Amino acid sequence: MTGFARRLAGKLATGLVMVWVVVTFTFFLVHALPGKPGDVQYEQYIMMGMSSDQAAAKVQAVYGFTSHDSLLSQYGGYLAKLAHGDLGQSITYSGVPVSHLIWSALPWTVIPVLTGLLISFLFGVIGGIVAAVKRSSRWGGLLTVSGSLVAGIPAFVLALLMLVVFHTEWNLLPDAGTSDIQYDPGWNLPYIGSVAQHAVLPVCAYALLSYGGWLLAMKSSVVSVLGDDFILASELRGIAPVTRARYIGRNAILPLFTVLALSFGVMFAGSFFIEDTFDYPGLGDLLLKSIGGRDYPVMAGAFLLITVSIIIANIIADLCYTLIDPRVRR
Amino acid sequence: MATATATLAASVRSRRPAWAAFRKAVTRTPGRLAGLIIIVFFVLMGICGPWFYGRLAVDPNALYAPPSAKHWLGTDFAGSDVLQEVVTGARYVLATAALSALFTSLFGVTIGLVAGYQRGLTDSVLMRLTDFVLTIPGLPLLILLSTVWSFGSPWEMGLVLGITGWGGVARAVRAQALSLRERGFLEAARGLGLSRRHIIVKEMLPNIAPYATMQLMLSMIAFVGAEVGLFFLGLVPFSSTNWGVMLNQAVFSGGAMETPAALIYLLAPLVCILLLTLGIVLFLDAIDELFNPRLRERA
Repeated sequence: MTGFARRLAGKLATGLVMVWVVVTFTFFLVHALPGKPGDVQYEQYIMMGMSSDQAAAKVQAVYGFTSHDSLLSQYGGYLAKLAHGDLGQSITYSGVPVSHLIWSALPWTVIPVLTGLLISFLFGVIGGIVAAVKRSSRWGGLLTVSGSLVAGIPAFVLALLMLVVFHTEWNLLPDAGTSDIQYDPGWNLPYIGSVAQHAVLPVCAYALLSYGGWLLAMKSSVVSVLGDDFILASELRGIAPVTRARYIGRNAILPLFTVLALSFGVMFAGSFFIEDTFDYPGLGDLLLKSIGGRDYPVMAGAFLLITVSIIIANIIADLCYTLIDPRVRR
Repeated sequence: MATATATLAASVRSRRPAWAAFRKAVTRTPGRLAGLIIIVFFVLMGICGPWFYGRLAVDPNALYAPPSAKHWLGTDFAGSDVLQEVVTGARYVLATAALSALFTSLFGVTIGLVAGYQRGLTDSVLMRLTDFVLTIPGLPLLILLSTVWSFGSPWEMGLVLGITGWGGVARAVRAQALSLRERGFLEAARGLGLSRRHIIVKEMLPNIAPYATMQLMLSMIAFVGAEVGLFFLGLVPFSSTNWGVMLNQAVFSGGAMETPAALIYLLAPLVCILLLTLGIVLFLDAIDELFNPRLRERA
């Protein structure tokens, strides 16, 4: 287990370096954008009638730096703020901390994404096994094509088609928001029911987004395991098909942990389209709105969080892989 | 990785996949042929489409006209012909996708080959760079960049998409290069004292080309999605009519979700994207078989 602890420490260290690189990158990217974050706020304070010294002091307090400081000290100020978990304050919702905005948006992204991931894993893995075993029959071919097609179709195309069919044509499901406004948010049945109803389409969209990846990865994995000698040997030894299927499944499922990390990335990227199409107030929606309003602190914060979650997903996938597959451990 | 090794084995065995083998693989199922036909159809649409039409005509007397002999797919909210918009819009979409795929494979193959062949420090540096590109989520980055960059021409858009997307290709090519490097013919080439450049370009590249081609087509699908998506979200200035602009206007200002009259304006570009994806997927199935004999079931 010490080997595992050492691996974990190593992964965390690389992860932290990566986070630092991304933070630096985000900082300089945001500063390359027109209208420095501090300046926008500064001008707002001036417009509100403050003196320039007062405004500069206020900006200094809010951001930890002003745009008159050298870039390096601005960077230092930004890092110091971040180290305390302070992502700054929103410009459009003036004074609201960015972390607050992100916290309230987070569940609307994470819960649907995870639910979708779970559903797609189930269907994708089973579909992948069938597609591999029956790969020369018509059904196997169709399954494979369905996987590649769904993996290839852009998220918003899926989302829009689902809206057209289930909302515009059949009017079965709502098209926007997280719940009907007539219900009070809280732990009461009508509200939860309404939330669930509004979540059906986004969750299905997320599930479809990653279904193809699972299916194709599982298929190619099963195909390559089928060709392994131990399968042939177990076949010759007359081991029951059920046991053989277990051998195959156990060995084939390993590479899928790398797909897990990929899926997270795909789904966070897809969250822009899905949240925008269904008007769902998650992280992607937050980033889009902050771009519309040129709200740089929110932009940087949301972008950072999306990247960090992908890094974490990568680490988790890597660790799962080493825990489950003894061959990777050294 | 088994796929990659098999691809490698196949391509090493026969340097030049014969035309006959290609034809056989494509015509083996009707689906693959259909895929090829769809791709050719869209390429022709992208090249020739704008020749048939002049400027986008606006007919204020026919807003949201239903399909008719004059307007095969009806008209949009401004009375413009939907079919014309779809056909002329194809060029930007396809050109951007092709350019970004080109840039992706250019960066990815070069970096992967060099890293895999050189190993050592060069390899580590290039791979850390690759890790970085892989970790930064491409689409959110593009969305951030769209605040400064207008992506006016397909070249700009293609370049930026390519820069954000080469990580996966570089990784895969490096893995193949590492395994290729240990093979006899490369050892022989090194023993003969051939230059590094000769070995990478003349000996390794041809063996990786088929695989890179597949990656190129796969990434094209993703890039079509990304660029059309940026227009759909309304993040990129509408410099030209294209499918993404149509989608954006149909959904956010045309009210396509509420009025059936606007539905066809929404569905036309959607169906095009679906068809194009389907075409590439079906065609890739054939290419896959050509380079990956392990997928052929033991009879």
